[in-house]
Amino acid sequence: MTLRWPDIFFARSKGNGEELPPFGRAVGVVTALLFLSLVFSFAFYRLQYGWDWGAVYRYRRMFLAGWLVTLAISGASLMASLVIGLGAALAQRSSFLPLRYLGKLYIELIRGTPLLVQILVFFYVVADAFGIGNRYLVGALTLALFAGAYISEIIRAGIESVGESQLESARAIGLTRRQTYRFVIYPQVMRRILPPLAGQFASLIKDSSLLSIIAVNEFTLNAQQVNAFTYSTMESYLPLAVGYLALTLPISLLSRYLEGRYHYAS
Amino acid sequence: MRLRLAGVVKRYNGQTALDGVSLQLSDARSLVLIGPSGGGKSTLLRVLAGLEMPDQGSVEIDGEPLIYSEPNLLRHRRGIGTVFQSFNLFPHLTALENVTLPLIQAHGYEKGPAREYAMELLKRFQLEAHAGKKPFELSGGQQQRVAIVRAVAVKPRFLLFDEPTSALDPEMTAEVLDIIAELRGEGRELVLVTHEMGFARRVADHCLFLSAGKIVESGPAQQLFSEPQTAELQGFLGRVLKY
Amino acid sequence: MAAKPLVVGMELAYPPFEMTDTAGHPDGVSVQLARELGKALGRPIEIRNMAFDGLIPALKTGKIDIIISSMTATEERARSIDFSDPYLSTGLCLLVRKTIPITTIADLDQPGRTVAVKKGTTGHSYAAAHIKEASILVLDKESAAVLEVVQGKADAFIYDQMSTYKNYQRNQATTRAILKPFQTESWAIGIRKGNSDLKGKINRFLADFRRAGGFDRLGDRYLRDEKEAFRRLGFPFFL
Repeated sequence: MTLRWPDIFFARSKGNGEELPPFGRAVGVVTALLFLSLVFSFAFYRLQYGWDWGAVYRYRRMFLAGWLVTLAISGASLMASLVIGLGAALAQRSSFLPLRYLGKLYIELIRGTPLLVQILVFFYVVADAFGIGNRYLVGALTLALFAGAYISEIIRAGIESVGESQLESARAIGLTRRQTYRFVIYPQVMRRILPPLAGQFASLIKDSSLLSIIAVNEFTLNAQQVNAFTYSTMESYLPLAVGYLALTLPISLLSRYLEGRYHYAS
Repeated sequence: MRLRLAGVVKRYNGQTALDGVSLQLSDARSLVLIGPSGGGKSTLLRVLAGLEMPDQGSVEIDGEPLIYSEPNLLRHRRGIGTVFQSFNLFPHLTALENVTLPLIQAHGYEKGPAREYAMELLKRFQLEAHAGKKPFELSGGQQQRVAIVRAVAVKPRFLLFDEPTSALDPEMTAEVLDIIAELRGEGRELVLVTHEMGFARRVADHCLFLSAGKIVESGPAQQLFSEPQTAELQGFLGRVLKY
Repeated sequence: MAAKPLVVGMELAYPPFEMTDTAGHPDGVSVQLARELGKALGRPIEIRNMAFDGLIPALKTGKIDIIISSMTATEERARSIDFSDPYLSTGLCLLVRKTIPITTIADLDQPGRTVAVKKGTTGHSYAAAHIKEASILVLDKESAAVLEVVQGKADAFIYDQMSTYKNYQRNQATTRAILKPFQTESWAIGIRKGNSDLKGKINRFLADFRRAGGFDRLGDRYLRDEKEAFRRLGFPFFL
């Protein structure tokens, strides 16, 4: 029985799962990309846009510099946010009540206000009151506080996902509280939070573009400047998008790989 | 073991799980607790396991009173082995690592000797092929058997089983009950909560029938099963042994 | 039959030329100028509010028909779009932090100094081309740039003469203004390339409007204080 050629575009459901035709994935991806290119080409054609890549190429060093700043700030913020997130997650489990509620308040405030507002308030109000002028430092810290709130929720969910019954088991075999944390809770939490943490890192990279409003010379601001100098909007912003994808795509793939590796029934 | 309970009361959220339980046993090698759900059997077992602190009353095991402070309870728990109905094993560790964990952390074994000893035990119970597998790769029966090995490995004074086969299908139930019978045959002391009446009858020296938080009947197993004294136990056995 | 509306692009964040009244409707010198132009051309006017650095792309792609947004006619911009005859002459000035001993743009261009500019303006282009030693802060909004100077995070803000004066007026405790322009510029109306018919009509309108005293009237209505202050300072009023 030969395969009719349209069959190559469809997955067949077989019992509990599905089966892809040979080359099915490649055909699917290529066709989707082709379709997208067609849509974009048509849009640009309608726009009658005069492309001028030369102008943007002159400023390539600005793009690279901005990209590196974005990478550096995102990396530094991520590390700080891990510390802050862990601190907030533990604070919320503390028996010292003021600490517990400080943690909860921090999370509600940060998660309930837009990052843009936080950046403006932290830089122009809080940092100014404390006399901290370095906008890169304040920007990275603001991002860290922002991501920290979300990370603390990820960690908290991770800790709570370790079932009560396991804590019982640990008690029954005579482990102390600290031993339970170290050998039962911590290893499982680490495995469980790695995928969402990777996702948070990708978000951080994208959110860092907002630091442009306090004149941090990261990737987005530099692309905007090139646009301002050359009036080449598309030629400035397309590399901008590609640059971010170059950072977030590997992380997304890593996250998916980690999810697969640590998937086991609890 | 010698057991002495005096007026043990345990309440949860307004419910009374144990309503003044008193007991004196001087020579029970294997003690089986039976009774309807919610009657207090699991709670009593957990009190003996040092996992629950009674609200009132005292417990004495082998002449030593159980002192309800965390350091003492910790020591008590390390001296016994408990197996629950399910979720005994830690999912991120292999079967072998599950067994060695308490040996290394709670009993001071070095890694090498702990692994050797654990492998020996696993081999003894025909589980050595599964030593490197994680719990999700094992069947329910295999998981319970590994949990039993873990409990036995720490050389406990006695073993406690809280409905170890209730979550298993008949075939796996049999393989787990086989191990318990084997341990009983070796002379180990154990306290067992179960619904498997046939097994209970075979394995128990002494039997307690608990209902509504009280010991309704207590006596040597053979006697209890063949000549239940109270109407309640008669009714219970009638229902449970029907099919 | 109604004439096709003339879509005018501007950034409504530049009082008193492009701004909104208390009810949120567009108002200001440029808005009135646009309305008068509409009357002269016999077409209704539609004001489109957008970010300054988006105006030229919008004009090029046909989203707007003309730009009246206090935009300086520069050579580089003229490569992308056409400009009308200039209707206002001004220059780049400095809003300086009060305690800094700077008197000229050359004083500012030293290592360790910080200069603020608004993205996409001639101040921005000037800084990118001429400021070599000092560091440049590129801000989105005029208000942010002024805040940077007020808070001492920037030593000076390069912007046009009139706004610099206004910003100084509002922040006299923390700033001072050096109002002698170090680069003169003129503002013009932006038109898509190849639209010589419209360009001619607009230039004719501008000449007529000025002759009829239209600009004087706008100056009196919106810029009275500035007119007076500049007269006292000895600067020619630019409108």
